[in-house]
Amino acid sequence: MPDRPRHIPIGQEGDVAVAIMRARQQSQEAGFDVSTSCRIATAVSELARNIIKYAGQGEIILRRVTAPGTSGIEIRAQDQGPGISDLERAMEDRYSTGRSLGLGLPGVRRLMDEFDIKTEAGAGTRVTIRKWL
Amino acid sequence: MESAIDRTNMSSGLTADELMALYRVDEDDLQRIREHGRIIEPRLGELIEEFYAWLRRQPEYTRFFSDPDKEAAVRKLQQDFWRLFFEAKVDDDYIRGRRSVGEAHARIGLSLQSYFAAVNHFLMMINDTYYDGSQSGDEHGATVNSVTKMVHLDTSLAVESFSVAMNRQLTEQSRAMMEMSTPVTALWNEILMLPVVGIIDSRRAQDVMTAMLSRIAETRSTVIILDISGVAVVDTAVANHLIKITKATSLMGCECIISGVSPAIAQTMVELGIDVGNVKTTATLQDALTQAFRQTGIVLSGQ
Repeated sequence: MPDRPRHIPIGQEGDVAVAIMRARQQSQEAGFDVSTSCRIATAVSELARNIIKYAGQGEIILRRVTAPGTSGIEIRAQDQGPGISDLERAMEDRYSTGRSLGLGLPGVRRLMDEFDIKTEAGAGTRVTIRKWL
Repeated sequence: MESAIDRTNMSSGLTADELMALYRVDEDDLQRIREHGRIIEPRLGELIEEFYAWLRRQPEYTRFFSDPDKEAAVRKLQQDFWRLFFEAKVDDDYIRGRRSVGEAHARIGLSLQSYFAAVNHFLMMINDTYYDGSQSGDEHGATVNSVTKMVHLDTSLAVESFSVAMNRQLTEQSRAMMEMSTPVTALWNEILMLPVVGIIDSRRAQDVMTAMLSRIAETRSTVIILDISGVAVVDTAVANHLIKITKATSLMGCECIISGVSPAIAQTMVELGIDVGNVKTTATLQDALTQAFRQTGIVLSGQ
């Protein structure tokens, strides 16, 4: 049963809470256990906060995905912000341009099964992550 | 807060020219509206009478017009607006005026349903009831089109500012709820406890820290337990806040124990790569309390 993707606009901190709650709910509905749903919700939280911090606004899109013999959840976080100028370093642990722990993006990659990032200076960033059952 | 302002600009910051292009209103339309105004305006008083007769029959009427002075004031505003509408001058002042209408509606709690019904009634009156039949069919058709586009442009401004105002109210409400929910409680002599529930954002983390530090100063407590069993996620930002909070309390001579770290949150934090350093954490509130007793030298007998 293909679910409709759910779009969550991200523009202020309250929107992060909405994204976290929806991600957790949808993960549980998709059949993930509490622990994995917590990982997925945490990954969404990281991405949503990044949107606010670096781009000001953007959106999170949640959807169910299927592959032969399995199914899972896909989260896409996209914005039209400044983009990431040094992607290689942004993916390193403990590198941050914004006075934070610098674990966000590499941490999200560790939490999920698939991780893809496209970014262009001045055009924005799109992160797509997937977790399979 | 900066982001909230950006969003407002994004959705409703269009200039007069951009709005006219968006609603495909051009000089010919404005000209037709002005000509139509010359037909309608002599009967404007009559039109307003009929409009209020209709309004009085609406369910929300008594809620908003219990005071007769109120009706007179609003009626005056409406008359001014309709005159302005038929002047057909879309500039920044006009736009500001229309936006303030939406804000006023949000403030008094007028529903969009009622507003749209009123707009619809107005549209029917000027396009049909009060039209004198003096134009050719084609001419009148074009005029109706122009008027309709303009009314839509106009309505969109009021609705946009209405929803911005409603969003602002919602944000303020949830902020108020959060501010109420930092109840630092004295559990024992020198032991404080604060349960945090829901989502921690930077503002909330700041509130939590402020509430904790001021209670520590007041009570001269030496241990404070921050229970996070009700927190939905601990991402790197939340972890960063928690670490800062424990640093601040220890500067005041009070050790912070973070309790209620669930298995799910523990695993997630490890995978994220968060190093909590020497922050004391426990799985349950009970463990935290036992530690706190030990630290403050409290011995419970009968165990």
